[in-house]
Amino acid sequence: MNNEHKSQTNSSQVNKLSKKELRRAAWRWTVIGSNNINYGTLQGTGYAWALANTLRKVYPNDDDYVEAMNVEYEYFNITPYMAPLVIGTDVAMQEQQGTESLEAVRSIKTSLMGPLSGIGDSLLWVLYPTIMGSISGYMALDGNPLGAIAWIVLNLLLIWFRLKLFDLGYKSGARLITDLSDRLTAITEGASVMGLTVVGSLIATVVEVHTPLEFTFGEVTLGLQEEVFDQILPALLPVILTGVVYYLMEKRKWGFLKIIFAIIILSLVGSYFGILGVES
Amino acid sequence: MPDLLQNILIILLPMYALIDNRGITVMNHWPVTVGLFAGLIMGDFQSAMVIAGTFQLMSLGVAALGGSSVPDYALATVVAIYLNARTGVGTGTSIAVGLPVGILAINLDVLTRTLNSFVTARSKKYLEQREFKKMQLVNLISVLFVALQAFVPMVILVVFGPATVETIIDWIPDWVTDGLNIAGGMLPVVGVAMLMRYMPTKRYIWSLLIGFVMAAYLELDILAISIIGFALAIYTYNRLISQKVAVSASGSAEYSEGDDFDE
Repeated sequence: MNNEHKSQTNSSQVNKLSKKELRRAAWRWTVIGSNNINYGTLQGTGYAWALANTLRKVYPNDDDYVEAMNVEYEYFNITPYMAPLVIGTDVAMQEQQGTESLEAVRSIKTSLMGPLSGIGDSLLWVLYPTIMGSISGYMALDGNPLGAIAWIVLNLLLIWFRLKLFDLGYKSGARLITDLSDRLTAITEGASVMGLTVVGSLIATVVEVHTPLEFTFGEVTLGLQEEVFDQILPALLPVILTGVVYYLMEKRKWGFLKIIFAIIILSLVGSYFGILGVES
Repeated sequence: MPDLLQNILIILLPMYALIDNRGITVMNHWPVTVGLFAGLIMGDFQSAMVIAGTFQLMSLGVAALGGSSVPDYALATVVAIYLNARTGVGTGTSIAVGLPVGILAINLDVLTRTLNSFVTARSKKYLEQREFKKMQLVNLISVLFVALQAFVPMVILVVFGPATVETIIDWIPDWVTDGLNIAGGMLPVVGVAMLMRYMPTKRYIWSLLIGFVMAAYLELDILAISIIGFALAIYTYNRLISQKVAVSASGSAEYSEGDDFDE
């Protein structure tokens, strides 16, 4: 297929695009993204959809367009936030070299997926919702919507961030990742520290386990919760529960569904026998 | 707001949230953000946020599962908020009824991904046939499938739900509703434990302990704890960067700053 195309390159035409036409691919990705995720090529279809109009502008010739689109439909899987960087690089290469670049486009796409997802998954897909989710979830328990509102505002900023990533990819392509990867490791580690600090506070505040058990010795009533557990350690029962659940998931490989059902059964049994109660 | 309008909006909300989550991520399918809007629609803001907060804390760490199908906690949140507003059952019981709906939704997600494979095959076929308009249009069917993931359970809920749920709950003994409320208090532990597994807890156990002490003993506000966490993050970042500089300095002797660290 290469020979055929090398002979055609003189006739095959490649158009240059305006910035607006270029960014259109980033916008289309942002809106649809992985809505059409499927078990065969995962986000491949969404990726092709994002580039469909832009590439049509690049290739006026149908044959070239079909050849290029076939590459874009291939398997693709990345943290959605990071994809515009790949799309930018992809468009820049094809705009310069046409279908000649397709082999390189394919290898760039597959080689960028891994490292970009490594950065994107840990920072944007896990740590960002961890920190924002902890804060806003905690606030919401008191009926306070401020955390949720702040989260939406930050999400709006992320749309701008994705367009910037596209521009970056278009300008400098793959070089960026190697330049930044050292610093990004440090950012990820720093964010993990912040995340874990918040998680530590959650154990004490949002996990609620309470026992209404009381012991009566003649005249004296001893509340197990207030006079024993709380004296040993505030949030003693939540700490124990967290430890047990962590142990079951980490060492016994329990899935989270099993844990959820176990907790509901434990609560029902505890409630029936009056061992567990709702804090009054 | 009239009931009919409420019903329509509460069905549309989780449909949009799913599409949003896979694309533009403004609301991004998180219980608190979706619950915020559900609360505005149903008019009981306070209880809505309490329900949403509980599901949010439960769902922490679920993001770490990446591309795989996970319970639809946003759908669970909307179901619970709707039931709470319409039937007057407690927040804890609403949560316990909403949760299985979200868990069952995993199956719908798997179904959507399977159906999308057919859509993709069709789209590629149109590409080969040079029907470029159809090639693009057919992909919108995938978006429809995604929306149906929430539409189907929500319509069943709105049409049959509140009355049925109320009758069942009236018949349930007190210790069961108490038990479900207790479970509602304990369930955030699932999210917390999952996070501890996915994050480098062993390496940074000190930050977990600092967070715990600040909350349990000092009873600091969550924002105060976040700010201290952020300070610790800056410290960690600087330490790692200066380590890197120190390493490259000993190799090339070009950098001299950062040497005063004793690592």
